[in-house]
Amino acid sequence: MVRIQNDDRKMIWTIGGGKGGSGKSFITANIGVCLSKLGVRVILIDADLGGANLHTFLGISPPALSLSDFFKKRVSHLQEVLIPTGIPNLQLLTGAQDLLNAVDTKSLQKRKLLHSIQSLEGDYILVDLGGGNSLSVLDFFLMSDGGILMVTPEPTSIENTYRFLKSAFYRRLRQSVSSYPVKTLIDGAMDRKNEMGIQNPHDLLKAVMRMNKEDAKTIIEETENFHPNLILNQVRSKKDIEIGFSIRSACQKYFGIRLHYLGYVVYDQEVGHSIRKRRPLVLENTQSRAAQCVREIASKLANRHQISFRF
Amino acid sequence: MKGIEEQTYYEILEVSPTATAKEIQMAYEHAKETFHSDSLAIYSLFSEEEIKEIQVAIEEAYRILMDEALRKRYDQSHFQTPEGQKWEKPSESQGLPWEKKTSLLFTDLSMNAGEEIFRGKTLKQIRERMGIDLKTVAAETKINMKILEWIEEEALDKLPALVYLKGFLKGYAQSLSLDPEKVIEGYLRFVNESKKK
Repeated sequence: MVRIQNDDRKMIWTIGGGKGGSGKSFITANIGVCLSKLGVRVILIDADLGGANLHTFLGISPPALSLSDFFKKRVSHLQEVLIPTGIPNLQLLTGAQDLLNAVDTKSLQKRKLLHSIQSLEGDYILVDLGGGNSLSVLDFFLMSDGGILMVTPEPTSIENTYRFLKSAFYRRLRQSVSSYPVKTLIDGAMDRKNEMGIQNPHDLLKAVMRMNKEDAKTIIEETENFHPNLILNQVRSKKDIEIGFSIRSACQKYFGIRLHYLGYVVYDQEVGHSIRKRRPLVLENTQSRAAQCVREIASKLANRHQISFRF
Repeated sequence: MKGIEEQTYYEILEVSPTATAKEIQMAYEHAKETFHSDSLAIYSLFSEEEIKEIQVAIEEAYRILMDEALRKRYDQSHFQTPEGQKWEKPSESQGLPWEKKTSLLFTDLSMNAGEEIFRGKTLKQIRERMGIDLKTVAAETKINMKILEWIEEEALDKLPALVYLKGFLKGYAQSLSLDPEKVIEGYLRFVNESKKK
């Protein structure tokens, strides 16, 4: 399994899950701005499948340089593809459509990108994965220091998020186990109507225990170490806020994983206004309720990295 | 990764083995709301059968842990070593400092108001299960004991005017960590229904 080993300072966060419109690009751009204000170097990577528009959230034109320049070797290092955003300490890398969207993305190419991202000169790297569910997207989600799921309190968004989480979870397990029959079993378990009677991760574990004790142990360890994060967007009531805690409990019961509820962003018309003005909300309307929520979340991320947060 | 049938009552309710009655009450309400059949948070994740199984486990965990004697017996049978000597409690759930259970407090967790009416009898039952004396509630809320008794006894003819009653119910609910809005709404609904009869 490809896991990037970061140095002590660098943190890579990927924002994915849910469906289009759940606010992944909005949160990526605005958290990026909040973190950049700390004086740390922040890099935003737009890997949204077929809908790369992180630059618009930052009020800049579609960049001339993209990842394809890196893969076609028009530049020698990924760092050269970074473009300034006009905001101090904040750079943008775009063009993932060229890569992640391609069904036949070569494993080597993917690995090269993962390692190149790790070597970027930044303190925080935020990757907007978009709404896709392909293996490349899942690998990016899993390789980071923290995968963040963006959800809105609607059945469609929650359904897509669980689908994404299940895919990411099983992929993580599949990459961790060593025996081929167990890998095949995990592939089969993804289909709830499978003939093996495996309805959930716990059934899967019981089946693996009968087949291969070592792999069962690995699955338990991987489950214990898998801590995705959750941000609930567009909440309109206290009851909506509680859904985040309930999702956390549901994940604990279903997957046996500890999901971190990073926070929520209230529904606020100011968000739409800022997008129309192509200005990050945390700069355009710093006192809006949604901006305060974003700052709160950014602050939690910064605290994880022990950086003091001042505004 | 444990199936629901392998989890301890504490794990089912996601509380520490040292949880107080108040904490168990709150956790129960959260669990009940989370695993309600119409809950948005579990949409598409569990089968109907799995949800029923979890609901039964939650009720059973609550029944045992809120009864002092039953909880003690359960603890003794589950957390003692075979020699019956050493007290061995499972470790508390681990979380990052910023994501501890206390974060649950940033909102009020409560019962589903559509399901349950917070009549006086119910409130009294919850308070007693939490092991909280009515005098403590009176001291904490500065509400006269008599009024608290009337609220619990459902002495409708003695209850103060609506505007005051709402204030008292709010204080009462807060002292038990219940959602004030739902308690007020539930209690007033009960009062109205009783008057119709």
